[in-house]
Amino acid sequence: MQTFVTEAVDWPDNAAALREQVRALVAEHGERDPVRRANSWTKADPEFSRRLGDAGLLGMTWPKEYGGHERSQLERYVVIEELLAAGAPVGAHWIADRQSGPLLLRLGNEELKRRWVPAITRGEAFACIGLSEPNSGSDLASVRTAARRDGDEWVLDGQKVWTTGAHVSHFMIALVRTEAGSERQQGLSQLVVPMDAPGVSVKPIIDLTGAHEFNEVFFDNVRLPANALLGVEGEGWRQATAELSLERSGPERYLSSMVLFLELVRHARTENDPALVALVGRLAAEAWTLRLMSASVAAKLARGEDPALEATIVKDLGNSYEQAIPQLVQAAVDFGAADTEVLRSVCFYLLQVSPSFSLRGGTREIVKGIIARGLGLR
Amino acid sequence: MSESRRMLAEMADPLFAELGPDATGESDGARIDELGLPLLLVPESEGGFGGDWLDALTVFRLAGYHALGPDLPAQIVGRVAEAGSPRQFALMAFARTAQIAGALDAALALSVGYVNERRQFGRPLGKFQAVQQALAGFAGEAAAANCAAVGAAQALDREDAAFEIAAAKLRANRAVEIGTTVAHQVHGAIGFTQEYGLHPLTRRLWQWRSEFGNDAYWSRELGSKVVAAGAVAFWPDLTARTG
Ligand SMILES: Cc1cc2nc3c(=O)[nH]c(=O)nc-3n(C[C@H](O)[C@H](O)[C@H](O)COP(=O)(O)OP(=O)(O)OC[C@H]3O[C@@H](n4cnc5c(N)ncnc54)[C@H](O)[C@@H]3O)c2cc1C
Repeated sequence: MQTFVTEAVDWPDNAAALREQVRALVAEHGERDPVRRANSWTKADPEFSRRLGDAGLLGMTWPKEYGGHERSQLERYVVIEELLAAGAPVGAHWIADRQSGPLLLRLGNEELKRRWVPAITRGEAFACIGLSEPNSGSDLASVRTAARRDGDEWVLDGQKVWTTGAHVSHFMIALVRTEAGSERQQGLSQLVVPMDAPGVSVKPIIDLTGAHEFNEVFFDNVRLPANALLGVEGEGWRQATAELSLERSGPERYLSSMVLFLELVRHARTENDPALVALVGRLAAEAWTLRLMSASVAAKLARGEDPALEATIVKDLGNSYEQAIPQLVQAAVDFGAADTEVLRSVCFYLLQVSPSFSLRGGTREIVKGIIARGLGLR
Repeated sequence: MSESRRMLAEMADPLFAELGPDATGESDGARIDELGLPLLLVPESEGGFGGDWLDALTVFRLAGYHALGPDLPAQIVGRVAEAGSPRQFALMAFARTAQIAGALDAALALSVGYVNERRQFGRPLGKFQAVQQALAGFAGEAAAANCAAVGAAQALDREDAAFEIAAAKLRANRAVEIGTTVAHQVHGAIGFTQEYGLHPLTRRLWQWRSEFGNDAYWSRELGSKVVAAGAVAFWPDLTARTG
């Protein structure tokens, strides 16, 4: 048995130059507040997203015909890991660039592609994910939000919840029931819903830190044209779950607390505490390993393989790592000591948001269940 | 995997499986010598196999997978590094990393196979969610150890691999804890017997975790490097090591 076959990642020749480009851009326009650099892929800064668009760093792998830049998957990987390691505020465009754009390009009809994809590459169209509902969390196949055909139109009614970025997004890709009376995975479809369509309303949900990142989204008799259907009617489950494997293994699954690790390194330099040095060593070893794992999945995806089990393992290990960092820092650092204000505030911020790391994108239990299935246990 | 490496694996795998943990006699050693394996890293010009570090990884990992009795990795490393030198210590740390990776995969395979067979409460243990979740965690640790071993081998083929060996041995050491704990837990009492084939793996895993740098040793080594380089250098250094 070999659970994770790693092969040499062929990093692009121009990787170093790309890294320099991103570092310069972040140095000039990135986030200065260390607390806001933590978990930065939920921090929306539309202005920063537009700058990335101008620099040709959004939709990097997509066809030129739709505003993309036809660069390789690994070039994109280099760019996103640089952005995340630097804590750049990439939240506004993150979902659109990571999954909605690729999904539209793969399954969308021409009108949908023309309408949304070029705007995404410019950093002008942002997207949100409409999966969860009040009674559909881990058990996603129980979604109730429904769309029915009325002549040439879809009529959408229901509610999504926990929708990250709905308030800054221009469209949602929603998983909805399009066959009345259907059960579970059957009869589901994906619809592209413009957030300004009449009948769509967004209500903020304030999280435990006081921030507004996710929302409730209500659909009340929302009329959409026939071409709002993404892909094939009734194939929504398969389409939506394929999308999940895309989003599981990215560097955002282990880098959310990187800024705290770096603050710890800074602090360890001024202390003379072997326990801190050892903690730095342990966390560095883990970061190095996770980066290899995540990049190796990216390389497989780039070759057209579907390393679903590996991707899921990266999410599980990565989330546990980024979740453990604030706990370990709190256990090791004396916050009463001088010059620990920044370390302390980043740590306490991350202690509060880190429970979400093993919830969003599929909970730890669900993720481990998928790994178990991959092992042949279910 | 390259063709020559695949052939190497196809040659070593059945032999190591056959020899297994109990092989310690002279005739067993002779069969390993026959294949030229101790000369794996010796250049072809000097009559060796001319293998690289990914080849070494393949052999070390299989030695771990089958809990091979003779310490073949030590012989292989002994041909290219002076006994007692810092280089030999580092290379042996790499070897143990690869052996840990292999042994964890073997213990995982044994555990998955066992829980799919063994029935309690009218169904295979593998159908119980608690068992599944524990094994999923184990799989993650085994995967991490394997990736770390590959990363260190690649670094050895590229350049000075001090950072990578430290990181890889430390990561693999940490994987031993969850791996051995879960493997024994899901096996119940049978795994605690001399007769059953789990202990040759787990007892070696515990041994290898200590040998050539335990967790404390490598976290100190790696931590001081990272702290000395400073926070600003961490990410650029990390990425410069690969591309
Ligand atoms: C910060 C954040 C952002 C999010 N953004 C989005 C978004 O943009 N779009 C979107 O659609 N959703 C989003 N979500 C929702 C997320 O996908 C759900 O929270 C997640 O799927 C879990 O659903 P739930 O919260 O209803 O928990 P539940 O499903 O009720 O689960 C509660 C607990 O029970 C466990 N559990 C449930 N079922 C099982 C089982 N069968 N076996 C064992 N344990 C089980 C879970 O693992 C969890 O620990 C977001 C969530 C968070 C925290």
